[in-house]
Amino acid sequence: MSRWFGPEGLTERAQLALGSTAIVASVAIPALAGNQYWTHTFHLVNLYVVVAVLQNMLLADAGQVSFGQGAVFGASAYTVGLVSTLHGVSPPLAVVLGVLAGLALGALFALPALRVQGYYLGFVTLSVAMVFPELLVAFSEYTNGVNGIGLPVPVLNAPLVANVTPLSLLVIALACGALAAHVGLRRAQLGRRMRVAAASPEAALTLGFSPGRARSAAFVIAALGTSLAGVLYVPVVGFLSPSAFHVELSIFFFFSVIVGGRGRLLGPIVGVWILYLVPNVLLVDLVNYRLIGYGLVALAIMLLFPDGIVGSIEQSLRRRLQTRSAEVRVDWMMSVPPTAMARSGQSDPDAGRAEPMISVRRVRKSYGALAALNGVNLDVARCTIHGLVGPNGSGKTTLLNVLSGLVRADEGAIDIKGHDTTRRPADDTARLGTGRTFQTPRVFDDLSIWDNVLIGAGLRRADDGRGWLFQALASVEAAWREQRPDTLPHAQRRLLEVLRVVATDADVLLLDEPAAGLSAEERRDFALLLRHLRDALGKTVVLVEHDLDLVWRVADRITVLDAGTIVAEGAPQAIVGDANVRALFTGRPDA
Amino acid sequence: MDELVIILVRGIGLGAVYSLVAMSFNIVHNSSGILNFAQGNMLVLGGLFAFFLLPQEPTVARWLLLLPAAALLYAAVLALQGYVTLLPLRSSVEQHSWLITTLAVSVIIGAVILIAQGPHALSVKSPFANFRLLGTRTPTAYALAALLALGWYAALRWFHARTITGLAMSALAQDLEAARAVGLRVRRLQLYAFAISGAIVGSAGFVAAPVMSISADSGIIYVVNGFIAAVIGGLGSNAGALIGGPLVGVAGMYAAFQYGGQFQNAVSLALLIAVLMLRPEGLFGRARARRV
Repeated sequence: MSRWFGPEGLTERAQLALGSTAIVASVAIPALAGNQYWTHTFHLVNLYVVVAVLQNMLLADAGQVSFGQGAVFGASAYTVGLVSTLHGVSPPLAVVLGVLAGLALGALFALPALRVQGYYLGFVTLSVAMVFPELLVAFSEYTNGVNGIGLPVPVLNAPLVANVTPLSLLVIALACGALAAHVGLRRAQLGRRMRVAAASPEAALTLGFSPGRARSAAFVIAALGTSLAGVLYVPVVGFLSPSAFHVELSIFFFFSVIVGGRGRLLGPIVGVWILYLVPNVLLVDLVNYRLIGYGLVALAIMLLFPDGIVGSIEQSLRRRLQTRSAEVRVDWMMSVPPTAMARSGQSDPDAGRAEPMISVRRVRKSYGALAALNGVNLDVARCTIHGLVGPNGSGKTTLLNVLSGLVRADEGAIDIKGHDTTRRPADDTARLGTGRTFQTPRVFDDLSIWDNVLIGAGLRRADDGRGWLFQALASVEAAWREQRPDTLPHAQRRLLEVLRVVATDADVLLLDEPAAGLSAEERRDFALLLRHLRDALGKTVVLVEHDLDLVWRVADRITVLDAGTIVAEGAPQAIVGDANVRALFTGRPDA
Repeated sequence: MDELVIILVRGIGLGAVYSLVAMSFNIVHNSSGILNFAQGNMLVLGGLFAFFLLPQEPTVARWLLLLPAAALLYAAVLALQGYVTLLPLRSSVEQHSWLITTLAVSVIIGAVILIAQGPHALSVKSPFANFRLLGTRTPTAYALAALLALGWYAALRWFHARTITGLAMSALAQDLEAARAVGLRVRRLQLYAFAISGAIVGSAGFVAAPVMSISADSGIIYVVNGFIAAVIGGLGSNAGALIGGPLVGVAGMYAAFQYGGQFQNAVSLALLIAVLMLRPEGLFGRARARRV
């Protein structure tokens, strides 16, 4: 694969170069040619591109719907205009105040984002976009109301060389900067966390971070960039009025992302160009039909090309380019050098202690009238594999959820590694060193395979405990960076999830039916892996599994649950003859 | 005193319109998880129906005849919109397309009204004379809107408890996957839900037309306030919607009287943020068990 083409089509680097070229050219060519109209138009277009790039980040990376970015844009522009004309504040301070105003509005979005998401925030932001111009009119005595504020900034509009103004340079810098920042964010831990929080808040919690905080961070970052664009709106347009920041501006930004292709780096550029230039410039006589145009184009794109224009082009490129496919194999997790083994097993000062790793006392959990857990007691010893079996609905997964903190027990106490975790939030419990997998693997198709592993690695600071893992994976790193996991078969997706949990360096692994859907051979490999995790890496494993053969082969102890109650517990050979257990499973060897 | 009566009566009347929008949200949301952003503009279309078909001096008989016609017409319109909205959901990859498609439909309706009727609000005459309530003259439409909200509430209650289709729809609300597993025709039920939501907003727009703002940009105001009413009451709960609507209506009316009409929506927004921060499940909603 070259620097420019990967299995996914254009690489991020190539897209960044292409997007920056488009931005620079669109401003520089009219400026050099001395065409004022087009220079002005593309100043505005590129400011809108900035807002749309951040909207794209917010929607695709953080999964957050905002119909209010136009209000953030307007709040910073208006603040700059107000404080500098009416209060004579110096330009640098005005810029700072403008950005702060935009950030304040962004924080207003971010605050509810801590608790709710999705369409709730859609409505919050939509109401803000609706209320913002109303308030500008309501406070006419301060804002000059519908008459607006005129604020020419001649300094920025004076040509430097050949009609290129400082303003042009600022617009170019901001637009390219926004694009580069989006790429940078995607490569950073925060960007990966946003994508995980968007795809599965539960997975985010079990990986040790708060999805609400990741969402809020996205709103604040988006507000920052949008405010900077709003500040530049003042010298670009030179006039502010409430009607420029109506709710339709916010909807325009949102639709630009959809039309261009959400999640695609170049999507916002293409979307803004099409939605702004076509009705406002080419069809200038039909400008009243602009809104209909937005609606119809967005509807048509959603029904016909849900990936947007850039997305659909990428898809067809991808089909042509996709040749090789990466794979995830058990042996990478097992190639542990002896030194690493020793360290990882023995550096744990608590190793060999007699107290159980996990201790559950009289835990109850009911859903309505149904008792999912009915006074469960459980001890899991250090460095053991503890099997948890029972028929469907016996409370196994609920028990795992209670252990990982995703569900809070109604009664009873849970102690993990000597810490009382009964009332701890799931992300805190995860940071103690508890990792879990899910019945349906939480694998994130928007992240590369490599990033799917890294999102686990960022959880705990200590790098020494898993250096071996990244050494073992060094040979596949390049391929994994370029490929998304949607091409992986089911069994390998499960392994990828286990790999991610191992990468968190958790010493308690809670695995929910990890062998479901695996072939006989894959199960054998998986059993080897489980033993390896226990013996070489010193992990404690709680294994919920329907494959009784597997459980009886690898588990050190087995607990049998039925209807939320423990009916048997002991070493595998000890309870195999237990009448209760037989009654539960006879005739249903695969139950 | 007079002022207080006016704020209460009109606030409750306007709030009843929000309750109706909230109930129309609920039935679609319960059966599909979709919130139809176009619901506000559909309400305005109900008002437009009255504007076009009621004469300058309307008679009660004609009004009574047109009311079910409005309900039926918008039931059909919403069923069509529902069909379009549900189309992309067939491929399970894209589950949030409805946010975009319903918003797009809302934008299109608003734009068409703007082009056809201009930016000004239209007025509709009521066949009923104003009535006196606690010493103030009150347009009958406020009372009719409140009655209609109660009527729809009772009808929906009966529908969900007593008819097979209603029961099946309640099953969808509780567990979509399970409903599919027992063989319910999910898509068809969801289309019914859209149609019923159309009948609700269509009739609401028709009844409230004399006291409503019928213009290109008022749809968004109704959809937002209707949503706020639904959230305050607890999304999905019709009893909550009955309480939430008047709360939002009275708060907004108070703000309008006290500080000016431009503050009406700002107050609703403040209410929404407060509820989401303090009690996101609303007054009557139950926190849903998290599914992992």
